[in-house]
Amino acid sequence: MTPAQLAISVLVLPLASAAVIALFLRRSGGLASLVSVLAATGIAGGALLLAFGGKDARFTAASEWLRFGDFAISIGFKFDDLAALMLSIVGVVGLCVHVFSLGYMHGDASRGRYFGGLSIFMFSMLGIVFADNLFMLFIFWELVGFSSWLLINHYMDKQSAADASKKAFIVNRVGDFGFLLGILWCQAQFGTTNLDALAKLVEGGAVAATAIPLLLFCGAVGKSAQLPLHVWLPDAMEGPTPVSALIHAATMVAAGIYMLCRINVLMVPDALSVIMWVGTFTAVYAALCAITQSDIKKVLAYSTLSQLGYMVAAFGLGSVSSTHMHGDTPHTVLLEAGVGAAMFHLTTHAFFKALMFLGSGSVIHACHHEQDIFKMGGLAKKLPITFFTFTIGVLAIIGMPLLAGFFSKDAILFLSYVVDKRVFVLLAFTAILTAFYMVRMWKIVFLGLPRSENAHHAHEGGLALTAPLVVLALLSVVGGYEWFYEKVLRGAFEGVLELVPHAHDTDHTVILATSLAVLLIGALSAFALYRPSPTDTLAEKAPGLFGALVALKGAFDRSYDYYVAKMQQRFAMLLNFLEQILLAGVIIRGLAGIVGLFGLGARALHVGNANAYTYWFLFGVAALWAAAAGVLIF
Amino acid sequence: MSQLPFDPLLISIAIPLALALLIAFGLPKRWSIRLAYVAFAVPLLMALHTWWHFSAQPQTAGYAFLTNYTTGLQGIGISLKLGLNGISMPLFVLAGIVGFAAGLYAIRSQAERLKIYLMLLLIMQGGLMGVFASVDVFFLYFFHELALIPTFIMVGIWGGRDRSYAAMKLTIYLTAGAMISLVGLIALYVKSGANTFDLIALKAHLAANPLPVTLQENIFGLLVFGFGILVSLWPLHTWAPLGYGAAPSSNAMLHAGVLKKFGLYGLIQVGLPLLPAGLTHWAHPLAWLAVVGNVLIVGLITIAQRDLKQMLGYSSVMHMGYAFLGIAAGSTLGVGGVVLMMVAHGLSVALLFLLATSIYQRTQTFALDEMGGLASKTPVLAAFFVSGTFASIGLPGFANFWGELTIFIALWKFSPLITALAVAGVVISAVYGLRAAARVFFGPATERMADVATRNPPTDLAWSEKIPALILLFSLLFVGFWPKSMSEPINAALTPAAAAVVAK
Repeated sequence: MTPAQLAISVLVLPLASAAVIALFLRRSGGLASLVSVLAATGIAGGALLLAFGGKDARFTAASEWLRFGDFAISIGFKFDDLAALMLSIVGVVGLCVHVFSLGYMHGDASRGRYFGGLSIFMFSMLGIVFADNLFMLFIFWELVGFSSWLLINHYMDKQSAADASKKAFIVNRVGDFGFLLGILWCQAQFGTTNLDALAKLVEGGAVAATAIPLLLFCGAVGKSAQLPLHVWLPDAMEGPTPVSALIHAATMVAAGIYMLCRINVLMVPDALSVIMWVGTFTAVYAALCAITQSDIKKVLAYSTLSQLGYMVAAFGLGSVSSTHMHGDTPHTVLLEAGVGAAMFHLTTHAFFKALMFLGSGSVIHACHHEQDIFKMGGLAKKLPITFFTFTIGVLAIIGMPLLAGFFSKDAILFLSYVVDKRVFVLLAFTAILTAFYMVRMWKIVFLGLPRSENAHHAHEGGLALTAPLVVLALLSVVGGYEWFYEKVLRGAFEGVLELVPHAHDTDHTVILATSLAVLLIGALSAFALYRPSPTDTLAEKAPGLFGALVALKGAFDRSYDYYVAKMQQRFAMLLNFLEQILLAGVIIRGLAGIVGLFGLGARALHVGNANAYTYWFLFGVAALWAAAAGVLIF
Repeated sequence: MSQLPFDPLLISIAIPLALALLIAFGLPKRWSIRLAYVAFAVPLLMALHTWWHFSAQPQTAGYAFLTNYTTGLQGIGISLKLGLNGISMPLFVLAGIVGFAAGLYAIRSQAERLKIYLMLLLIMQGGLMGVFASVDVFFLYFFHELALIPTFIMVGIWGGRDRSYAAMKLTIYLTAGAMISLVGLIALYVKSGANTFDLIALKAHLAANPLPVTLQENIFGLLVFGFGILVSLWPLHTWAPLGYGAAPSSNAMLHAGVLKKFGLYGLIQVGLPLLPAGLTHWAHPLAWLAVVGNVLIVGLITIAQRDLKQMLGYSSVMHMGYAFLGIAAGSTLGVGGVVLMMVAHGLSVALLFLLATSIYQRTQTFALDEMGGLASKTPVLAAFFVSGTFASIGLPGFANFWGELTIFIALWKFSPLITALAVAGVVISAVYGLRAAARVFFGPATERMADVATRNPPTDLAWSEKIPALILLFSLLFVGFWPKSMSEPINAALTPAAAAVVAK
């Protein structure tokens, strides 16, 4: 099988699985889950075959989908190292989540719909990874939005789930409004949206209008939940926990960063600095919000927002020039460090965040769907595997040396240190907060004594729940090491990872010191402050600060609610009122009155019987024909 | 190549009309129903046949399946000339598919006076097939009127709330629209001096001797506003939500799905090629009316609707705004997008009107505030309705997406500002679409709904509803996944026309 054929099979496999489930397995949840998991296994296998197929397995291929005049849209594959990296992440994390779902969703009555939805999601996500042009990217971009809607809405009898899914889709559409305009503009300016063709044009000296990358970035703001469109992601936690792990942590929300890396050639300095600041503020803001959360999934959701902000900021920091000694002559190259750092962090984050979400799923499953961390406690002894793997996840995200997050976070800190010191300070502050809220949650959930009946009776789920945790924990350890990518993975993702910036000499010392300092400050203060108690210690000791953080978190939702309920809805009602009164009432009834006068004369014919009307009609037709054909002479 | 021993176009018009005539002359009910299955199936099969064989068919002036029948009216240039080009073929197929779905649904609908109901529906069906198969402008108009009249009667007799007011308003508006466009068509006939209604001959004649620019502009104006009323161009749209709100489901499916497209079809098939200067003159006013009126104002009004059928009616008006925008853009891409959009919208709106009736039968209301939680009781109905909703709000994978996307791309060249306003519509449609789906199906059931459900436990879709719905949904997905099946013939038909517009 050629790589192109393999790629097509990988793309079509989940679609076929979804179709089979939708048509035949709606009521047989067991079979449906089997089909879906088999499809996920096939995807993971195919993905790894493609990714590690060597240089021969990198290819582009396209076929025309629709053509009008000289405009055509193609369905095409651009499979380079960047796509290979993303594909491997989606394949591996996807498989882990599918297997975990086997255990987690075991008793669910609508398993068929759930697993069908997962398959649809895999199809859509793979389309984004493979896409070789922006229109195709947009098509699958919308489809992941749909699968996200479907899966958030899984518990559809709950009002909150219905609201959250609707909000997620609509907020994403707001972002896509800009995204689509950016694509249209790009098409108008360059005459193409093919990524390779765009790269060629830019190399030839064409410069994109600043608005194009900014509009395209709007798409990422929606999908990757950056300020000010971040509001949908915390609500999206209404979906089943494995969904949160796959879609709202590891893959779909990271698609925004992937898309930015894809369109890197279109970036101009002004756009990059906007992107950098949006990412930075999202990172700080979301980390502040995470501190006050009491729902285990909400903590992780805000943490995801914050980490996505990290990646976006990294991308926005852009390129740096680095000087290598090439023999005796210094050799300066412009390194697309933003892409490298963002993708590196995306990779490690996918592992440790999926790990923690699945870990929280294991906790929630064990505690009979209790999600309040203050009603947990003492779970370290009850759930040893979950505790151990979750701890690895926590250590990875807070940047403990030797774990994956340490390396990728340092790359970003270093990049910001070189490019913009203000960003560096803010990101370092975010790192303190990250360590703080993570250790807070970890301590409250796992240490101390059980604080509720559910926590008391918690016990580890089956192998389906624990095996994915172990795999992801392993990846969260090795996923940061260069030797892992070079030796074990034989440099398959070289094209991306060689872009990751590395600190040398004094810079190295500064970054290492900073990162250890922020880790210790954040972690130790949280460890000292929080007691495993049924109430939030911060709220007791510093109610003012706590209240301010809560208000900060609610500010966006409150203003959007105000806009929707008080402005948009009222404006719509007003327009509707005008429509009914002015148009329908006055103008039309007036017109009808005049016509009605004419109608009086014709009333004799109106007998109110359908047959009569039909006969009249037929008679009229015949008479007209006769007159026109000259049969009837007047 | 097609090997049929008869003319598929004539058959697909004649069979429904013949059965309607038989019913009018007193065919027993049992036979009326049995034969109705045949009379709705034949146009569908013929339409699929022409689609399948279209590209392999020998073509004259872009038309395949061309035949000419004498009518005794040659003296004034009227003959029944049937044929399909790349623009009419997709709509002919649409009429076949939606007609079959609406027919099946009607046969099993247990409507009162079913025989007459079917008779009227068959007249509509025959008329619709005729509209898109006619190459002669006279018959194009004639068949439209033939299909239109049953609408008035059906709304008046089988209609729901406000049916007499709705029927009156519908009649006034649509007759006015048809009259204005008729004046335009007659002016075209007279002023062209070709003494023929034959579109192919007219095209050739006007290409050689174009009308004076002012005349083109005036006639095109008549067509835009005449046809505009029929397609619910803002602010001449108020008949539509009211009419659809009152119309019985099969009638609404055929009217909103297919017949309403006549105005757009007329503009594309007659107005654009014959009066190129007219479009240049009217494009900007038309685009502004469509984007501010149809897309934004009506879009927001749709958000404020509390009645499911009214909501669907308004959303349909909104989507027609996109079609007008594509026509205003005028390029092959824009007009091709409109043809795709017409097919897609026809299928999706027919699906939604069908399902709205199914929902009503289970909830005893169209009021959105009084429903809720239906999805857990009727998952298949929910799946269909959600699919239809996502299709109509332009989710990729459904045909509608291609129509909207290509129109947007074409529109950017026309005016980026108007494009930006039009694209804002995709957010609006997501708001009202998802809101309606959520109100009906998700969240806990309202008190009233729970009450209805205990007295009358809702059952999931029956096969008589499922099959028509499945046909429509499958068609939407088919074109969505394989747009080339439609876009190739459309492109072939449009490319020379667009080249002529540019050359001028």
